[in-house]
Parts: sequence; structure tokens; C-alpha cells
Amino acid sequence: MKVQIVLAGIGGQGILFSSKIFGELGLKLGLDVMGSETHGMSQRGGSVTAHLKLGKFASPLIRTGTADILYSFEENETYKTLKFLRRGGICFINLVSGDRFDKIILAHLKKKEITLRTYDASGAALKVGSILTANIMLIGYSVGIGLVPFQPGDLRHVLTAVSKKKDLRMNLKAFDSAVREGQSFLNPV
Amino acid sequence: MGNVAIARGIVEAGCHVVTSYPGTPSSEIIPAVVEYKKELGLNTYIEWSANEKVAFDNALAASLTGKRSAVAMKQVGLNVASDSLMSSAYTGVIGGMVVISCDDPGPLSSQTEQDSRFFAMFAKVPAYDPATPQEAKEMVKEAFALSEAYQIPVILRPTIKVSHAKQSVKISPVKAVDRKAGFKKDPERWAATPRYRLTLHKKLNETLKKIQERFEGDSRWNYEVKTSRAASLGIITGSVSFTVIMDILEELSLRKDIDVLKIGTPFPLPQKRVAEFIKKYKKVLVVEETDSVIESQIVDKSKVLGRLTGHIPLQGELSPDVIYDILAKVLKELGMADLEKSGDEQLAKLIDGLNIDVRRPTLCAGCPERAAFFAIKKALPRAIYSSDIGCYTLGLNLKAVDTVLDMGAGITLASGFYQSYHQDDKEIPIVATMGDSTFYHSGTASLLNAVYNNARFVLVIMDNEITAMTGMQPTPGSGITADGSKGKKVSLEELIKGCGVRWIKTIDPYDVENLVKLLKEARQYTQDREGGIAAIVARHPCLIRYPEVGRENPVQVEITSDCDGCRYCLDYFECPALYLNEEKDRVEIDRNICVDCGVCIHACPKGAIQPV
Repeated sequence: MKVQIVLAGIGGQGILFSSKIFGELGLKLGLDVMGSETHGMSQRGGSVTAHLKLGKFASPLIRTGTADILYSFEENETYKTLKFLRRGGICFINLVSGDRFDKIILAHLKKKEITLRTYDASGAALKVGSILTANIMLIGYSVGIGLVPFQPGDLRHVLTAVSKKKDLRMNLKAFDSAVREGQSFLNPV
Repeated sequence: MGNVAIARGIVEAGCHVVTSYPGTPSSEIIPAVVEYKKELGLNTYIEWSANEKVAFDNALAASLTGKRSAVAMKQVGLNVASDSLMSSAYTGVIGGMVVISCDDPGPLSSQTEQDSRFFAMFAKVPAYDPATPQEAKEMVKEAFALSEAYQIPVILRPTIKVSHAKQSVKISPVKAVDRKAGFKKDPERWAATPRYRLTLHKKLNETLKKIQERFEGDSRWNYEVKTSRAASLGIITGSVSFTVIMDILEELSLRKDIDVLKIGTPFPLPQKRVAEFIKKYKKVLVVEETDSVIESQIVDKSKVLGRLTGHIPLQGELSPDVIYDILAKVLKELGMADLEKSGDEQLAKLIDGLNIDVRRPTLCAGCPERAAFFAIKKALPRAIYSSDIGCYTLGLNLKAVDTVLDMGAGITLASGFYQSYHQDDKEIPIVATMGDSTFYHSGTASLLNAVYNNARFVLVIMDNEITAMTGMQPTPGSGITADGSKGKKVSLEELIKGCGVRWIKTIDPYDVENLVKLLKEARQYTQDREGGIAAIVARHPCLIRYPEVGRENPVQVEITSDCDGCRYCLDYFECPALYLNEEKDRVEIDRNICVDCGVCIHACPKGAIQPV
């Protein structure tokens, strides 16, 4: 298996933790893991992007038009990072509602057979009890829907391994809830 | 992470002394060594030094006693340490010494994109150029061996995309190297006068020749990736560019048409290997980051395409897209392939049309530096503001920073500005701002020089008791050393006094009103007959590092109905916790970010920000 994942958002949204989850997942699946992070001044509210490559790759960087999956945790960062997706790629966006997404760009992406799924991960995270779990919920939702080549069980295992002790219960609660939501209904744009 | 792999390499090599001054992208090396020290119960001496030259010399001294030492810094840090580097290349080392200089093509977090491999060439010391974290770890170990075998400092040059790359890395056991400090006096070498320096230079040149021979025979870092067919194009490359090229060739099924020579030892270049490789192809493309170090060393360039022929951009990072475009252009020129254009122009146009704001970095909500800048603007609105490198560079957003040159220049430029105007009989207000860590790094020589030469300006040292921008490393003022053990606390005020400044006041910048008063007094002192430089220490702990202490005495504020949406606070105070509710045309407070510092009370000209 070869999978290229881009994670995008802003400082404080847990991009690097999400990247760690997929890195550990790759190791669990016996794949080579490479990746890189761009976070010059992230703590001061700047953009954060992480690239993750699972399988046989030489470089940690992803070229535009070649990523399989894009997880975006913030609306504007989505637009800035859509270019990474390949024809036929898939994108999960943390967004209150699919209606907010720019219609012309949506039509352009459809031509490239790119699938978009929006999920109000921030809203869902608040409901579960911690806004900090929005990243985990977007990932959980994506495996619940089943449009990515990962199993919920594997991810749950990895999440358990990488979570800090004090966050573990909340993280698993958020993840399980999002997986169920993903499994129960599709939310196409 | 690449920097953790480098730390692992340092530990596996049995290194005894590790020093550094923090700077992106090198800052994670020292903390990782500290972690290994604790985990493995090692006796490593680890130091956050006051600056890179200090770090270099401390490491060098260890190697003169026979121990192994490593010094880590960012590329511009090597400028600061370069005096020591140049000289130590002549005098050499005893125990292995590895100089890790992390480059920042882009630049993402630096004032230049300089290529440290040129420093290796300039100083005449060998350089290793890792392509991946794994390779970086292994190269560190070999660099120690090479350094010891040839008694010369060795540079490891990871770029940011190696330092910050993630990779599953295979680790090896930690080797204990038993060395007791034993400095052997040899004044002709360690205290060589110019007469002996010529001899040392000759020896250095001979050593380099030998190292070059060794690199010619090396197949671990320098190797060809060959194809079955006779290829007509060859590529010479190294560092992360090598990995990018391999992925692109694989993706486009071009492996059969192009051979690659990967160079991990760019200086001294294995000339014979390179010449033999070039001989086999019609054309050879040289792809290297950030400058033309390999290319410029190639003797016969008649077949070479690279920066010197205009095929590679002269600045900027060689991202996968840039490399793809370079390849597409070359392959087309040679009639080998017509690649699809990279990127999606239509999508780019559509996204451009959305006019998404570029997220500029800002000081955190409640940052004491914002309070200090706001007071400076208020007290001395027409001053020249010379500033420096650190979080407070972001005072740019508040228009309270006019110059940012390099570490320490906040003070030197202020004194230079003063002298230039003074020469014309003009006395203008000048405010120099500098962080505590930068002042310890290179402020003292600048300040005592300014005092000595009668310069007059207001100096504001923003003391947040930490090196914040690079990730919260302790400063001499904190009295904590690299591994968390206790050091001697250095007093900032005493240091300023020691530089000869006679007007020194300390204040918490959250007290904006009194800081404004103090700044005016300070300005007056710079104009008094018996006056001089006036220094204010604006002290309040960084809220990220010290959230509890930093948030003592909270002042919760609210926006009253007097807010008319004039945006003054947004433009001139720029706190991320204040935002405009466009529907109501009023400013509101984001309670998720607000830390109740209460400073913004001073930022509303209408008095619409009030304590609850």
C-alpha cells in the first residue's frame, strides 16, 4: 500500500498529533513512514501543514496533485491546500455545513473526480466535551464512512497508544462517537 | 524527527559534550540529547550556551582534551561562530568534533537562506549532507570517526526538510567511549602565531586532499542509482532533493531513462567520481539546495546544466513542484519527454479569487511584548524603532519595529542611528527593543560600545525570562541549565549596569500607564546634559511557558456599548482575542483565547473596553 496524506489547519488544532496518529498507524500496518511538517511560527496562529507518506517512498514531501487524502481542520486552510489532491482524491473538511463551501470550486473538483466530505468536527467535539478532540473526530468520521483505506479498529488501537494518559478517555470517546456518526450517515456536499 | 535522529547519532557515537544556541531548524537536537541522557543514564555534558560562538568554543575545548564534542546551531548561527570555525580548521581537533549547522532554504524562519556547505568550503573543513533522518544519524557517527582520524572539525549540514522530516529510524546501541580530559600543551599548534599558521594551512590542504581521496572511495553516501538501459541524462544531487527526484522518477516511470549520482559529501567533492559519471551522458543536471556548491566545484562544466546555466532557480526552496518543473524543462529541451504541467492553474486562479487572508503570525493574546510595544508607540510615536530577532520581531504588526538585521543589531543600529543624526546636530528619539535571550547572546558588546562612544537612546529589554520564539529554552537569566539542573542566575539589571548604563528602571509592561510615563522620562534622560542611554527592563513572564505566574492578577474586560467599530484596537493593538463582529460592526472578545491581561483597556480611544 502507498498512501499520501496532507493534514492542514492552524496552530493549536492538533495537526502534529494527527500526523503522529497516522505515522504510528503506518508502523502498525508494517509500512515505511515518512513525513514532514511546516510550522515556522505555528504557536502564534500561523498555518500548519503536515505531509505523511505511508509505503515505499524516498522523500518526505508531497508534490501538488499527488495526495490521496486531505484532512483540513479549518475552512480557509482547505482552499490553500486543495492543490495537493490528486485526481480522484478525497478531502475531509471540518466545516459547520457543506453549504459554506465555494460552489465554483466544488464544481471544478467534481470534474477532477475529487470527493469532498464536510463534517462539523468542532461542533461534535464540543458536544462530546472537548473542542481539542475536533481533529480526532474528523479522522474518526473519515474511517467511519469508510472512504479511506484504514480500519477503525487499527486507528483506535493507535490512538490509545499515542494519547497522553489524561486525554485518553476523552480521545477515545470522541473517536468512537465520530466513527458511529460516519457509519450511520453520509453527508455529501 | 530528523533532529531527534541526529541527537541519537550523537549519543550512539559516545559523544561527551554537546553545546548549542537555539534556532529553527536546529532547536530540537539538544532537548532530544537531554532525553537520551536521562533515559540511558549517560554522563553527557549538555549546554545551552549564550551564543553560537560560545557554544563552538566550549565544544572545541572538550575535543582538545580528547573528548568527543558536538555543537548545533542554525545556519545564521554559524556566521556568529565562523571566527572560531575558520581558525580551528587550521589548528584542528583531538577528540572528534562535529559541527551541525541546519540550513533553512525558503527561508521559513531565518534572515537569509545561506548554504552552510559554502562555509565548509570557506573554512576548508569536510561536510556531510544527509538526505534523510536515518542518513543524518549514521553520518553523525561517521563524522566523528572522520574528525578523529584527520583531526579536523567536520560539518553536518541538514536542511530544514531533513531536520523536521519524520521517518521510522533504525537505532543502534549506544557506544561508550572512555575518555578522560587530558589537554596536552602544544603552543605551536593551539596558540599558533601567524608564522606557524602558514605551516598549519599547508597541513590543512594536505589533510583535505586525503579526505577527498577517502570520499572518492566512499560508496555509503556517494552512490549511483543506475538503470538497465543506456540513459542519456544523468542527475547529480544530494540532500532532500535526491529523495524528491527519486520519487518523481518513480512516479513518472522515468527511472529507466535517467541515472542519478547521489552525493552525500559535497565538500571536498569526489572529483574523479563526478567526472567519470559526467563522461557517460550527453547532459548532466545538477540539483542541489540551496546554492551551487557541487556545481561550482565541477572542473569541466561543458555538459553540466544547473544554476550557472539558468536551469535551477537562484533562490528559494527546491520543493517537489520546483524540481518537477526543472525536470520537465530539461527533458523537453533534450527532446526526451513532454511532461504534463505541474499544478492546476484553473484551481489556483479560483482560489486566488477568494482573496483568502494570509495568516500572518502575531504575538499571543496577553503577550507582555504587545503591551510594551503599545506603550512605546504611545509615549514616543515618532521615534526610530530598531529591533531584533525573536517573538518581538512581530512588533512589526504594531508598526513598532523599523529594523531587524540580525542578533544584537537592535542596539548597534540604535547607536549608529544616533551618531549619524548627532553628527548633523539633530537629536531624534530612538527606541531600541531587544529580548532577554538576544541581549545575553550579543547585546552586551553592542551596549558597552554605545555607552563608551556617548550614544543616546532608549533601550527597552523585553524580559519574558525565556527564549520563546525557538521553543522555550532557558536563558542565563532563568538560572536553569539545558538538562534542567540549577545554574547561576545572571541578573539582567547588573549586566546592563556593568555595560556602563546609569539610568535603569524595571517595570511590568502590563502597567501600560506607568510604562508610558517611564518611557517619557527615559527619553528626557537621553536629552539631559548629563544624560545618556536610558534602559528599561520590561519584565513579565512568557504566558506560554509560565501560564500561572504570567496570569496572576487577572483583569476581565468587556466591550461596552461605546464601541463604534472604529477598529483602532484591531489595527494598533492587534490582539488575536479581539475580533470584529461584522454584522454588528462591533469588536468582540474571543473568550477561548483571552487571558484576562486587561491591557487592551488602554487600547480603546473611546474607552469602550472596561473591566467587568
